[in-house]
Amino acid sequence: MADEQKPGGSEAAPPPGSEAAGQPVKPAAEAPKPAPPKPAAPKPAPPPPKPPATMAATPWESDLARELKETFGEGISATSTYLGQNFIVAKPGSAIPILEYLKLESDFDYLVDITAVDWPKRAERFDVVYILYSFSRNERVRVKVLIADGFQPETAVGVHLTANWLEREVYDMFGIEFAGHPDMRRILMPDEWQGYPLRKDYGILQQDQRWVRENLGIESGQ
Amino acid sequence: MSGLFKKMFLVDLFQGLWVTFRNQHPKYIYTEQYPAERPKVAERYRGAPRLNINPDNGETLCISCNLCALACPEALIVVTSERNEVTKRKDLTTFTYDTSRCMFCGLCEDACPVDALELTQDFEMATYTREGQIWDRQMLEEGPKPTQYKC
Amino acid sequence: MPDSTFLDTTELVLNMGPQHPSTHGVLRVILKLDGEKVLGTECVIGYLHRGVEKIAENRTYAQFNPYVDRMDYVAAISNGLGYCLAVEKLLNVEAPPRAQAIRVILTELNRIASHLLWLGTHALDIGAITPVFYCLREREEALKIFEKYCGARLTTHAFRIGGLLYETYDGFEQEIRDFCTMFVPHVDEYEDLLTHNRIWVGRLKDVGILSGEECKEYGVTGPVLRAAGVEWDLRKAQPYSGYEKYDFEIPIRQNGDTYDRYMVRMAEMRQSVRIMQQAVEAIPEGPIMGKVGKVIKPPVGEAYVSIEAPKGELGYYVVSDGSTQPYRVRVRPPSFVNLQALDRMIRGGLVADVVAVIGTLDIVLGEIDR
Repeated sequence: MADEQKPGGSEAAPPPGSEAAGQPVKPAAEAPKPAPPKPAAPKPAPPPPKPPATMAATPWESDLARELKETFGEGISATSTYLGQNFIVAKPGSAIPILEYLKLESDFDYLVDITAVDWPKRAERFDVVYILYSFSRNERVRVKVLIADGFQPETAVGVHLTANWLEREVYDMFGIEFAGHPDMRRILMPDEWQGYPLRKDYGILQQDQRWVRENLGIESGQ
Repeated sequence: MSGLFKKMFLVDLFQGLWVTFRNQHPKYIYTEQYPAERPKVAERYRGAPRLNINPDNGETLCISCNLCALACPEALIVVTSERNEVTKRKDLTTFTYDTSRCMFCGLCEDACPVDALELTQDFEMATYTREGQIWDRQMLEEGPKPTQYKC
Repeated sequence: MPDSTFLDTTELVLNMGPQHPSTHGVLRVILKLDGEKVLGTECVIGYLHRGVEKIAENRTYAQFNPYVDRMDYVAAISNGLGYCLAVEKLLNVEAPPRAQAIRVILTELNRIASHLLWLGTHALDIGAITPVFYCLREREEALKIFEKYCGARLTTHAFRIGGLLYETYDGFEQEIRDFCTMFVPHVDEYEDLLTHNRIWVGRLKDVGILSGEECKEYGVTGPVLRAAGVEWDLRKAQPYSGYEKYDFEIPIRQNGDTYDRYMVRMAEMRQSVRIMQQAVEAIPEGPIMGKVGKVIKPPVGEAYVSIEAPKGELGYYVVSDGSTQPYRVRVRPPSFVNLQALDRMIRGGLVADVVAVIGTLDIVLGEIDR
């Protein structure tokens, strides 16, 4: 990351909040086609009307979805599908029971990934996403939990061993601590690093100045 | 039984040695004597950037549209231009390209609408200073001049 | 296994890496030893962390494409394929058939190149120096094809979202055919050198055993899972990019030890040749770029797409907020998850086996640390 961006180059990377400015990036900026480029007249992406501000997910109707809803009732806010991919939005408390139920009763025995998404403007700031796969059903399902900043969701290590490092990475990058995790330390960043890099309020040029000075002996890594 | 036989007569080792023996022939020499013998890189190789000039009149092909600078993921291209009152077009004044941060992805040359900016087949771009990695318009038009070695 | 021997020596903590040649990069493994026996390990990673996921949030979709090559840099084309498929899923477009066929050929060629580098360095770790020369020689041929096709050997940036940028060059099909016919005898050569070699077998058999159940528990995928008897390959289970059209087998072995993982990867190289041979004979005519606008602006939504990379399941979870920049790109790196099982595989083994087990996991630290 040392030469990730120099200050002079920051204009090509507008901050994520600039979508209201009508996309200042000029159309041919990406030029994925070898065709003769036309600088003007951007062709809109396949759905021409302006996309809705929310994800156009449709309810997920299946035996599994009904079964889960019956079992967990209030614990599940929604079962939806988008682009053929199914996901469950669960209440924070029922995430681990759902993972356990899916593993034991429905054979979702492979936890593919745990990750998080930061939505700073929302009351429940983080999405914690568990991606599950079932070898026998050849099916994927995502379990999404909306949690507030500071909330400590329960760890999934008791259900899937692979959650260990994945949760550590989520903690490292987002500062979400998992309650009951056997080894809640940073994994990719140095142990003493301050701040959580993948939060939206952490700038791309930002760094832990004190750590860099003490450990690398330089003023800035940029 | 045959396993024991194979073990006693070191069949597995001789099998491997036979492979190395077969490859001893001089026609299997694969080494390139690099500085003396220069490798021929592919036609599409993405190497040192070049700002093409029109061979007929020596003027630059660049129309200062700034698309390469916008396409660049590392934002390492800086194009400045001034408006020519006679032709009503933008004239290129400076063009800097920071090769020290370039990852040779080729997005800039894809973006160029007039084939002015191009990644060429030159690959020897080492310099003694960091500043030497930042190429100005003259350097981009002339290209790098690596030392030629003869054996 | 008891935690102490009758000699009852004191426990020794040994630091292996990050500058150890056999850790394949900057991996640091802290070993707790009792004599030669490993009581436990702890991996320290992150030395190569470049914040790829953060970079993604500050680039446009097309601009981020070259960065994914730099994660698993020995299989850059697989990384690019996964990313392009994920964004294509969000855009709800599909690459044209011709682009898909060329993608398959290059991805399989990349799988061979990746496995060759693995085989060479793994053998080097174990002590067999000869194979690495032959492996790199054949890998060079594959890299030459990449260079001719897209202009770069390692960090290729070969695919674009929606299809391909480059049309094949003259003689591409013939070169692929030549590579396939040239390569299969070379695999036999590697097998001559290693498969029955008593030192090789002695060092690998019954080392670092991971059963199929444990693989699932740890989320381990790729050749490691298949060597443990689980017949699972994303190219078959959830075909993408037209893999359902090709006839190939999933090589599996039952023991789940280091030797079986070696055998599985050798067989996979042969299967990759088979796929390439079928694909190159049936490259359809037509466009190579799908209906994707100049500005890639997927509608609000999210998608998880994964492919079978040489190391295992490589997944991309992309969240779009409707702007030209991805809101979040999560990479599910196979090496990262596979490395987690290292402790389970090596506990109770010998120090010399650590090198064998790290080698057999086929990790790339650029992908683990991102």
